[in-house]
Amino acid sequence: MKVREIFKDKSIVGSPVLHFVKLVVIMMVMWLLLSGKFEAKFLIYGIGTALIGAYICLPLMILDGVSGEKKYFAFNFNPVKLLGYLIWLAWQLILANIEVAKAVVSPVLQIGPQVVKFRVNMDNPMALTMLANSITLTPGTVTMNVTDDGIYEVHALTDGTANGIIAGDMQVKVAKLFNEDTNFEILEVVPEGANDVFNEMKKDAEEKEEVR
Amino acid sequence: MISVQEIIAIAFMACGLLFLVISAVGMLRLPDFYSRLHVSGNSETFGLMLSLLGLAIYEGFTLTAVKLIMIFIFVFIGNPIGTHILSKAAYKTGHPMYVKETKKEE
Repeated sequence: MKVREIFKDKSIVGSPVLHFVKLVVIMMVMWLLLSGKFEAKFLIYGIGTALIGAYICLPLMILDGVSGEKKYFAFNFNPVKLLGYLIWLAWQLILANIEVAKAVVSPVLQIGPQVVKFRVNMDNPMALTMLANSITLTPGTVTMNVTDDGIYEVHALTDGTANGIIAGDMQVKVAKLFNEDTNFEILEVVPEGANDVFNEMKKDAEEKEEVR
Repeated sequence: MISVQEIIAIAFMACGLLFLVISAVGMLRLPDFYSRLHVSGNSETFGLMLSLLGLAIYEGFTLTAVKLIMIFIFVFIGNPIGTHILSKAAYKTGHPMYVKETKKEE
């Protein structure tokens, strides 16, 4: 896809010109930080390089949505919200790391490996990527597979980390970050009966259906 | 005389080392490929991240510290992708998974 077509494309979320300016700014900041020189000559070189680089890279940064109707710019998120999310993620990382460290170091290995499957209804491929990456980054949970329908298969090391996925704070936070649908659905936990929390939730849901 | 900045940096690096040691212990103790991936991929990432943060704090507010933070960000993004690809390959080719015996309901 050529850059000229991108500027006319109506299916892209947000304004393409704004996305281009954003990309130039990001590249310019990278130039400044890596070069460390703030003289006029180097600044002009930097602006020129950033413009050419952004012109070449813009088509690569436009991603097709899952449903195929819309297209998304890769860095189209609110930086303040992103910072808030990253701070929350860092806190979760510390908590989960301590839990996994305890499970690994204790005299009797306190692990209960299980696979949790769940589905999210997000269209933005960047949101799907960020969710998968956040889950993998958090110790005790590794994303094993993501299908095109948004079904995640997550391997959890201990019961505690699996319960974190079932509670679904992370799914909701990522969906809010990208202004997407916050609903998600836990499909199953393998092996059957591995997780007490999930079994109780399942029983409650069945009882509700019986009442209806 | 050690300054406050150095003490904080040393604390960060010591925590990083602790998590690296724990990941090595987990590597030896855990039963199968998938659970080893947790410690090799994640605890190690955390240890490395803490060490880099400690180095950046030791360096102070300079461009070198910014470059260390950049390495930190690339590790933050890149390491989970590697872990994910390894586990995906193992899962799709049907590598056996260690499963704890579960209580059967009667």
